Amino acid sequence: MFNVSPLRKRQVIGGLIGLVVGVAAFFLLTLESNESYVSIGPMNTGHETLSCYACHADAKGSLLQQVQSNTSHALGFREKGVDFGTQDVTANNCLECHDRPNDRHPIYRFSEPRFSDAIQNIDATTCVTCHSEHHGERITLDKINYCMNCHQDLAVENDPLDVSHKDLIAKKQWTTCIQCHDFHGNHRYEVASKMKDTIALKAISSYLKGGVDPYGTDKKYSALSQEEWLKK
Amino acid sequence: MKTFYKLKFTYPLLASLIVVACGGVPEEKAELQGEENVFSVEEVLEMVSKENDVTRTLYTKAIVGKGKLQGMKFDEDWRKDKVEAGPLPALFLRGVATSIKRGPVPLGLYLGSDHPVNAANKFEGKQAELFEQIKKDQEPQFFYDDSQKLHTAMFADLASAGACVTCHNDHPQTTKSDWKLGDVMGATTWQYPKDSLTYKETVAVLNSYAKGTVDIYMEYLDEIEHFKESEKPEIGDKWPQDGKYLPTAEVFLDSVKKLSSYETMKHLVSLNKK
Repeated sequence: MFNVSPLRKRQVIGGLIGLVVGVAAFFLLTLESNESYVSIGPMNTGHETLSCYACHADAKGSLLQQVQSNTSHALGFREKGVDFGTQDVTANNCLECHDRPNDRHPIYRFSEPRFSDAIQNIDATTCVTCHSEHHGERITLDKINYCMNCHQDLAVENDPLDVSHKDLIAKKQWTTCIQCHDFHGNHRYEVASKMKDTIALKAISSYLKGGVDPYGTDKKYSALSQEEWLKK
Repeated sequence: MKTFYKLKFTYPLLASLIVVACGGVPEEKAELQGEENVFSVEEVLEMVSKENDVTRTLYTKAIVGKGKLQGMKFDEDWRKDKVEAGPLPALFLRGVATSIKRGPVPLGLYLGSDHPVNAANKFEGKQAELFEQIKKDQEPQFFYDDSQKLHTAMFADLASAGACVTCHNDHPQTTKSDWKLGDVMGATTWQYPKDSLTYKETVAVLNSYAKGTVDIYMEYLDEIEHFKESEKPEIGDKWPQDGKYLPTAEVFLDSVKKLSSYETMKHLVSLNKK
């Protein structure tokens, strides 16, 4: 009846296959049980059971509205664009579960101007500088000498350590700091007074990569679980 | 040629217009439309800084100063499990700052000095430079922090009570032991992202500070609740000057409001004259 050219026929079949595969992929990859296939890498230690939506909240509006808003923005009809698909993950997402009053180094403190030089070296105003997600670790920094950025002038009265803090700083032994002090100060443990009794660097490195916690399991505050966060 | 123009310009333009014409995600600024900015950031930071002066002086004199006379303890390690004490004034301020940061108002508050007890609180760079001027004339200093894109103000923090002087002079880690009443011991630094604020935003800034005060004071009262060895002061409407008492958070905040509200109200109602 109709004379369909072989080329057009192939185009239609190809289009249909693409459509079916696309719809199937969209359906399968958005199932909660298949989240690990969508994730760009293994979740960091302690986050293994989190769902995507715990951090990646849906952006405001429908997908069509988001397209409309961003097109308007591109054409100059709207002052700001909007998030597409999901909202940007910020430090506030982390703090919803990890914020606590006893944090020794809360990120907000580093917004103060006197830290402007330090944050050129290490941006402590945001969590992901040290805890980049989807790496299957705790700390994603290459080096653990970060204390040197702020504590070069440290002076400890009645120094309780057998090797003085002054000497450690003079010798630039910055990796020794966390052999006694956990950065966020959330563990309850006895701090060693002799250098030989401090936590071995190997154990610390293993912990930062996701291993056993050498500071102990007695913590002052625990981060919220996903269930607790949902109930908040 | 016609087809070329249609493909390259007309169709994409029409498609874009159709997409745009259907609306989009409502703009957040809509709720602020119709509200003009009525205060400069400098005015607002001065207002909240005065509230802070009153609050800190009240806490230092009426709670820490008088409380110590009643045998109450205040310690820099007050959060530690084995320490049964309340926060020292500097840590009280840090508690307020932490609470503010947890809330939605983008206000930053910090305390520093050129001779801090904790070396980590020593001013550097621009702040150290401006603090020299503050020590001379006790006048506020304002600047724009380009790296953080924040409007910044610094206000003198004076030794307003005997407790400030004795604690700092006697502290084992002090780098200066001849402080006297009225000295500029340090400065508070305040930051806000906008150069001017609406009435609603101004009130939100003041409220976030007041909430911060209540939050840290409540934490102190909560700490007392968990004292095991020390005698617990009675919490109600009485103050340490009358004995082993502490005011409730509401009574404390009421007193702050009574002492500070005149200055703040003067600013807020001055709008009618503008």
